[in-house]
Amino acid sequence: MAIKYAWALDMDAGPIFEQIGRNVREQLARGELRPGDRLPSARDLAGQLSVNPNTIVHAYAELEAQGILEKRRGLGTFVREDAPVKTMRKDMLKQSAKTFADEARRLGVEGEEAAAAWKGAWDAR
Amino acid sequence: MLASLENVTKRYRTTDGVRDLSLGFPVGEIVGVLGLNGSGKSTMLKLLAGLLLPTAGTVAVFGGSARGNRARTVFLGETDTLWPWMMPSDASRFMEGLYPDFDVARFHKLLDVLEVPRRKTKAMSKGERGRLRLAMSLARSVKLYLLDEPLAGIDLISREKIMTSLVREWHTDETILLSTHQVAEAEGLFDRAIYLREGRLALDAGAEALRERGKSVVQTFKEVLA
Repeated sequence: MAIKYAWALDMDAGPIFEQIGRNVREQLARGELRPGDRLPSARDLAGQLSVNPNTIVHAYAELEAQGILEKRRGLGTFVREDAPVKTMRKDMLKQSAKTFADEARRLGVEGEEAAAAWKGAWDAR
Repeated sequence: MLASLENVTKRYRTTDGVRDLSLGFPVGEIVGVLGLNGSGKSTMLKLLAGLLLPTAGTVAVFGGSARGNRARTVFLGETDTLWPWMMPSDASRFMEGLYPDFDVARFHKLLDVLEVPRRKTKAMSKGERGRLRLAMSLARSVKLYLLDEPLAGIDLISREKIMTSLVREWHTDETILLSTHQVAEAEGLFDRAIYLREGRLALDAGAEALRERGKSVVQTFKEVLA
């Protein structure tokens, strides 16, 4: 199946294999990619991104080691049925919260004011 | 090593093309050959292609001499040597006659992937001719491809098509050396980047290793060659 989300690569943001890994985890956390889904072949994704196929193979191998992907013989690379999606979602949420908290601190804002601002933004949509 | 240069110097009448250059190229790498104009990129590729002989040092390809293995490597140079009356089908017959390793089926697949129009080269744009020349080169099944500026002077869409087909057609037992000024566009393709300055090796580094240290191949280019 096709990947629904655009893969954004930034050559100044660290190794490409890590960015691909982050991308897959984010897509899983958002539900854009689900357990059991098949990923594009390394060659297809490499062609799509104009990236060396070795790099994609490396990224997939790392995600396999993290228990997120699995190779099925002759069929391709899939998201494992038991991929820790909830944990990934929690981790991402924590990360976003930390970014927000850090920024609020830099602004010299108290916790309560930050929480109120967050609540306002949440309710506004 | 699939190919190597050992203390290679190539002197032209008044200038040095490359100076005391030593490099090895293992099987299965896509290597970016980077540098400013006159840094020795083309000279290095032509030495490996056996089109130039070194003034000093040794150039080895497939365990023999580069010149002796000329027929077993692909060199895509900057000069457009296509006859104006040539159609892609003529180019196919021409290449078949010249090279036993030319794969006609692969050529036609590449024409499709690269969207080369089926008309005479004189009626093609520069980008279309560049794509045709790349299709002719990549349709040969060899282990060493030496591509000198295949992205130069052609439009963005052609460049993207070329990079996509490079990735799709590359087999892991083949080595590609690609020189380019389009470093930002092409950097994702490279396993490794070689930076040349005035004919000498300025830096030889893995592309992901550079990014690991927070420096893109482009950023490194600016720092190393500034």
